[in-house]
Amino acid sequence: MLRKSDSSLLLREFPDFTDTMHSLVAMEKMPRGVVDECREAVALARRFNRTVARNYALELDRRTQEDPTYLPWELVEEANRWGFFTMWIPKLFGGKGWSLTSIAPFVEELASECLAITNLIGVHYFGFSILVATWNIRLIDQISREVVEGEKTGKPCLVSGAVTEPEAGTDAEEVELLARAKVRCHARRVEGGYVVNGRKIFISNGHLSTWHILIAYEDLERPDESMIAFAVKNGTPGFSFGRMEKKMGQKGCPASELVFEDCFIPEENMLVAASRLEEMKLLSRAARRMKRGPRELSMQLIDFVVSATRPGVGAMGAGVARGALELALQFARETVVDGRPLVNHEWVQCLLAEMYMNAALARLSYMEANYANSMYGMARLLGFKPLYYYHRAMPTSVFDRLMPAANRLDAVTSAYRLLVMGGQSEEEERLASGWASLAKVAGTDLGVKNCQLALELMGQAGLRHDRRAEKCLRDAKLLQIYEGTNQLNRLNVFKCLVAPAAPEARAFED
Amino acid sequence: MAKMVGLSEELRLLDGMARDFALNELVQGREERDHYPFAPPCEDVLARAHQVGFFSLLLPEELGGAAEPVQALCLVLEEVCREDASLGGAVFTVALAQELLARAGAVEKLEQIYSRTVSVRDALLAFPSFHNPGDTQPNLAAERHKDGYRLSGGVDYVVLGNIAGKAVLPAKSGDRPGYSLFLVDLQAEGLEGSEPVLSLGLHACPAVDLRLSGVEGELVGEEGKGPDYFEAAVDRLSVAAAAASCGVMKGSFSTALDYARQRIQGGRKIVNWSEVRMILSSMAVKAKVAEMLVREAARAVDGKEPGWRLASRAAALQVQEEATELTCDGIQILGGNGYMQDYGQEKRFRDAKQLQSLMGMVPLRRLRYIRRIVDGESPWA
Ligand SMILES: Cc1cc2nc3c(=O)[nH]c(=O)nc-3n(C[C@H](O)[C@H](O)[C@H](O)COP(=O)(O)OP(=O)(O)OC[C@H]3O[C@@H](n4cnc5c(N)ncnc54)[C@H](O)[C@@H]3O)c2cc1C
Repeated sequence: MLRKSDSSLLLREFPDFTDTMHSLVAMEKMPRGVVDECREAVALARRFNRTVARNYALELDRRTQEDPTYLPWELVEEANRWGFFTMWIPKLFGGKGWSLTSIAPFVEELASECLAITNLIGVHYFGFSILVATWNIRLIDQISREVVEGEKTGKPCLVSGAVTEPEAGTDAEEVELLARAKVRCHARRVEGGYVVNGRKIFISNGHLSTWHILIAYEDLERPDESMIAFAVKNGTPGFSFGRMEKKMGQKGCPASELVFEDCFIPEENMLVAASRLEEMKLLSRAARRMKRGPRELSMQLIDFVVSATRPGVGAMGAGVARGALELALQFARETVVDGRPLVNHEWVQCLLAEMYMNAALARLSYMEANYANSMYGMARLLGFKPLYYYHRAMPTSVFDRLMPAANRLDAVTSAYRLLVMGGQSEEEERLASGWASLAKVAGTDLGVKNCQLALELMGQAGLRHDRRAEKCLRDAKLLQIYEGTNQLNRLNVFKCLVAPAAPEARAFED
Repeated sequence: MAKMVGLSEELRLLDGMARDFALNELVQGREERDHYPFAPPCEDVLARAHQVGFFSLLLPEELGGAAEPVQALCLVLEEVCREDASLGGAVFTVALAQELLARAGAVEKLEQIYSRTVSVRDALLAFPSFHNPGDTQPNLAAERHKDGYRLSGGVDYVVLGNIAGKAVLPAKSGDRPGYSLFLVDLQAEGLEGSEPVLSLGLHACPAVDLRLSGVEGELVGEEGKGPDYFEAAVDRLSVAAAAASCGVMKGSFSTALDYARQRIQGGRKIVNWSEVRMILSSMAVKAKVAEMLVREAARAVDGKEPGWRLASRAAALQVQEEATELTCDGIQILGGNGYMQDYGQEKRFRDAKQLQSLMGMVPLRRLRYIRRIVDGESPWA
């Protein structure tokens, strides 16, 4: 047999065993309750699909084709009634505190019915992730509690995430590119806060959200070192909504322009600033511990977010892959060719099997990435067994009594930052980020592929809006673009998972 | 222009005219026209296409047509679809319906239609062109009635069904296998059209579902011979369908290249990132190969060269598939902007996928293709 030292040397050869077996490692670390939560989340999504989405998805799509500026408030209110906007907000902040691992299967389930509705619900957590990635506990708490309040009062309070600018999309997702980017959203420090000027585009749910987590830059010449995040609320003077995009698909979820004209944002709404590491004492201690400067901190922020959200987009790919399969299967059962139902033709059986495999492969990818993120990403503390069970067992009301006051303390923010930001190694950042990109590319490419296959099988029926399949294809194509185009994500897979085997390699330099 | 080598002077002129038409008439207003059925139908564009003879390219001269070879139809479709495939869908549908009448030997019916053509409506012929009626049992039944036939039942997705004068419709007649083709006046009593069908692509090439109850239909050719006429028309016009997809590919590539030359990300024009070049290269190769395939297959069709039927079908299957891949990349090169209606790329993606279903389901067309070879037809000399 191998000696332990030999074995560990062999396992460290490319591809490193720990780089590739997240589910195995996660299994022993993961609290069992997570499995139950995943089951419940899927069941809940199924019920929502049956009772709301199935009847509504086509109507919403058609209505928005007719009027691209239509805002589906009734859907937002319905999702709010179902409690979807607080499900994954930790109880510490007043939410329902579901395990983050359960969000991706939930998303897959919703996406099998309608990607626009899924995005409308899911992208709230994109905004929320940027908020959480800053670990500014006071603001996380304040905004989370407004979301919870919105659920109670029936007046939804959603959060959008605003990164992309007219001249900076791919640019904004990697510090190497950001260093050379033409970003324009500028934050100037003034007494008591900042003055922001610039525009953000393609912001999902922009017009529907109350809070917008805004990424800006203090120095437009050095954006990679001067990234700054704000929480901006509707009604802030100098902030307005611009146009709404006319999209090909996912029409029920608006993509908005956000306009900032001499918009004053008070200091207390500043979430984190890469340039102010030194001022933010404990953050700077965490950064020093990890040898992170402003640029590395910016990359960590980006990676915190995308490691959590890109597997979600992969799950949307898996969902639409399944939705397309279900439509193709239904068509094959009801269509007779050469005197036999299509489903009894051998080639159709192979095609349907391939579609099933595509959906399954997409699911395996996002679950693996999910495990990587839950072990190494920004919310890993919540997966720590004792904390998990404590969090789960305690009623939210108990937290509500204790936490709001504590969460307002700067020391709490500092402690979290020290733990989470300082506690993540570069290795862990690399793994969570690399797998998130892998899942995003795999899931979304497979999702688009299945839609194309469904349309080919269904012929004329597949082209009709009333048969749903064409909508799946229009909706799915967006998955290959947002949360970083699949090209950017492939480069990130290279950077995080392949390049370690080629130390001389430099990504994003070409 | 390398593409023009080997073309007659006449075809060269036609190609230039089609290109000018596409640039002058189709680029502007493309997005608004695509808003159909939520906007009025684009009858003016159809009327202008009629004026320049796009709906009578293959018709014999005595019927007022140009008696052009299939190559001419291919050139026109390619140029038109570069800018707006919706008009291409209309031109193709009319050509297919005419071809069906011609294959059925129904020249007198063509004469009846085209001898008194005044408006564009008279020149348009509707047909369910995204379906091979032989794939599934027709829902329309024809019953003999005195000297003629009465049709009852439904036909789905009849392209141009709400704006053409007449339609060629497949119906089951008697207990014969297969189906027969009938010419139906779309204003006839007992005929009811649905709201326009909302579709993936080709929005401005409208379609409706038709319901007929006892509507008079004129038999086209022989009873039960519909599949023969249809397959013969597919042989001849598959290459034209390929040309339409080829046009969409070229349009998508040009727009992507122009955009990549201007858009800056990561401090440089994106055309200078080698991964972007790889995608553009794959698009360029696909478009070029598509053009060569279409040209070669169209020449084979017109010259009735050995294997021309399968050449025509192979070109369609291959080019249509490549068009769906290329236009997907065509969006991707523009990133988020590609997904928006303002840039025309998302429309090309939808149109390419829609065009792929012309004349029937892709897998069944593939199976037919190989069946013919297995049964002894040679794909080459
Ligand atoms: C409907 C929709 C909703 C969205 N929602 C949000 C949101 O809620 N919040 C938000 O902040 N953003 C959002 N986005 C923005 C999205 O994340 C960006 O569109 C995406 O990052 C791509 O950026 P871009 O559109 O500017 O494309 P570009 O960056 O201009 O890319 C153009 C092309 O160049 C390629 N490219 C660029 N740089 C490189 C390189 N270095 N190497 C290789 N290829 C390269 C890209 O892959 C792409 O193919 C949304 C976008 C859309 C379309």
